[in-house]
Amino acid sequence: MKYLPFVFKNLFRKKTRSLLTLGSILLPLFVICVMGTLLKTLSRDPSEGRGMYRLVVRHKVSLTNFIPEAYRERIFQLGGIQEMSIWCWFGGKYVDYSAKNQFARFGVEPEKFLKVFDEARFIEGTAPDWISDRAGAIVGDALAKKYGWKVGQKITLTGDIYPITLDLTIRGIYTAENASALFFNWTYVEEALPRVKGRIGTFYVKAKSAADVERLPKQIDALFENADPPTKTETEKDFQNGFVSMLGNVKFMLTGICTAIVFVILLIAANTMAMAARERVTEIAVLRTLGYQKSTILGMILGESLLLALFGGVAGLAFFVLTFPGFKAWLMNTPMAGFAAGIKLFPSVLAAGFGVAVFVGLVAGVVPAIRSARRSITDGLRQVG
Amino acid sequence: MSSVASVINSTTGTTLIRIDGLVKQYTRDTQVLTVLDNLSLTVDEGDFVALMGPSGSGKTTLLNLIAGIDRPTSGTILVGDQQVSSMSEAALAKWRSANVGFIFQLYNLVPVLTAFENVELPLLLTNLNRARRRKQAELALSVVGLADRMDHYPRQLSGGQEQRVAIARAIATDPKLLVADEPTGDLDSKNGEEILVLMERLNSEFKKTIVMVTHDPKAASRAHRLVHLDKGVLKEDVHAEKGKAVGMAAAISASST
Repeated sequence: MKYLPFVFKNLFRKKTRSLLTLGSILLPLFVICVMGTLLKTLSRDPSEGRGMYRLVVRHKVSLTNFIPEAYRERIFQLGGIQEMSIWCWFGGKYVDYSAKNQFARFGVEPEKFLKVFDEARFIEGTAPDWISDRAGAIVGDALAKKYGWKVGQKITLTGDIYPITLDLTIRGIYTAENASALFFNWTYVEEALPRVKGRIGTFYVKAKSAADVERLPKQIDALFENADPPTKTETEKDFQNGFVSMLGNVKFMLTGICTAIVFVILLIAANTMAMAARERVTEIAVLRTLGYQKSTILGMILGESLLLALFGGVAGLAFFVLTFPGFKAWLMNTPMAGFAAGIKLFPSVLAAGFGVAVFVGLVAGVVPAIRSARRSITDGLRQVG
Repeated sequence: MSSVASVINSTTGTTLIRIDGLVKQYTRDTQVLTVLDNLSLTVDEGDFVALMGPSGSGKTTLLNLIAGIDRPTSGTILVGDQQVSSMSEAALAKWRSANVGFIFQLYNLVPVLTAFENVELPLLLTNLNRARRRKQAELALSVVGLADRMDHYPRQLSGGQEQRVAIARAIATDPKLLVADEPTGDLDSKNGEEILVLMERLNSEFKKTIVMVTHDPKAASRAHRLVHLDKGVLKEDVHAEKGKAVGMAAAISASST
């Protein structure tokens, strides 16, 4: 610790260079945090484990195809099912088709839905209010906050897949991870469009146990293997991962970009440290003449490199934390609003950013530190400047 | 610097440095260059020795070997009771920090540190606490007459003042031995004279043993003893009386050019 003031003074010996290097670490670290947060959001389970007993049953060919509602009874007969609910994508438009007005709208069976999606908690309104109102809807708190919606407020959805206009009354505001969707009673659509009745998009099934989660997908799909249409059943997690994979190999791309950024800041920091050590060859030889051990010199140069990277890294993390609310608010007004609702400040991403800074600091300093410590004193003293 | 004087006074009069059959060779590609050839020499405690000779005669190499910053090819160097030539690198570093003070031609102060912090550098290697380090560094700076400049950075000091800070750094840990490589080589005559007076004082008042490499007859004339090297061989070793030393040093210097 007694060498720390000396290390600090060395760090800012060339102020412009040090500040530029700090900047070249700060900004990439910020980008890494943004990318890491997107990656984390893409790969995490929004139900945080509570969805592990949920299965999604859909048409084997495509999500856009329907399956008969009559499948419900046959699926239930397989046993091990706590509850299941219709879960139909409505689409349509709210106000207009602009990006800022895009959010998920699903038709469900309220009573059953609340048993399947049991992590949802009402923060305004009540479940009975919603269940008893056929034109009622519940909205996620992120969505309610975005539009300033209140319980009792009326909103209109104009259908496109389903040519009807839904005049819905908000009967509840729920909170859960990624609470950015609107759910309404599917019966409303069925009554307005009788031809739709009996055909649904998906079933969400809540299994009773882990063994049932393992067993049911195979048994459900086997049950309808020769039926028209056949089904595809998967866990909620696999179902969501399927959407992510539809974006292409986004995770691979983001990971690749992050890796490249780490490599670039490593080169920049290493160059700075190499220059710093090269300029101090004589000075280091003088220190060793005074009796400084090789290990002390090694520690001082590594410490300097580590401090440089940590200053840049922590500044980058702080910049990210400070700008995060604005970043999220901006995303909420884009077609990624549903995805953005699940974005938060993940401690693991911040820890990874900090880890990157430590890694860069140590790796960037190790070669100059070893070379400085190993150079002979007499060679060092012969250098001029 | 009373503590310095007391330590040194107790050991004055005995041999501090004993060099026997010292050989130093460098290998450049396939060529072996002998810089010091079978050199033997003793230096008593409290002595003030000037190493003179032409460029390439091995003066600085000898100085480096005595100070333990270079290794001999063969031969032995005993400083006090330590066989410097056979110590491990870590042990040598520790030994240097406690026993040898260095004065360089170009001062070699750390530019980002104040005079005080430069003098404190060797003290950081000791077990002294912060207050004791401060006291010791202030004492060293007061000995060289720069107690009022301790917060100045090297760029704010003249060449002579920088060299005096370097001397304060050299004596901060109260070493027995001071080695100086052309300490006045980068100074004008007035500042050079002040540095030589200071070194004389360190030798006479604080009983520091000084081994100094110099080309300057005036600097050498301050020494008690002139050792003349040529092509790595000890050519002359003269104990000088005050007043006669100037002439002898001039003669050696003239023969070196």
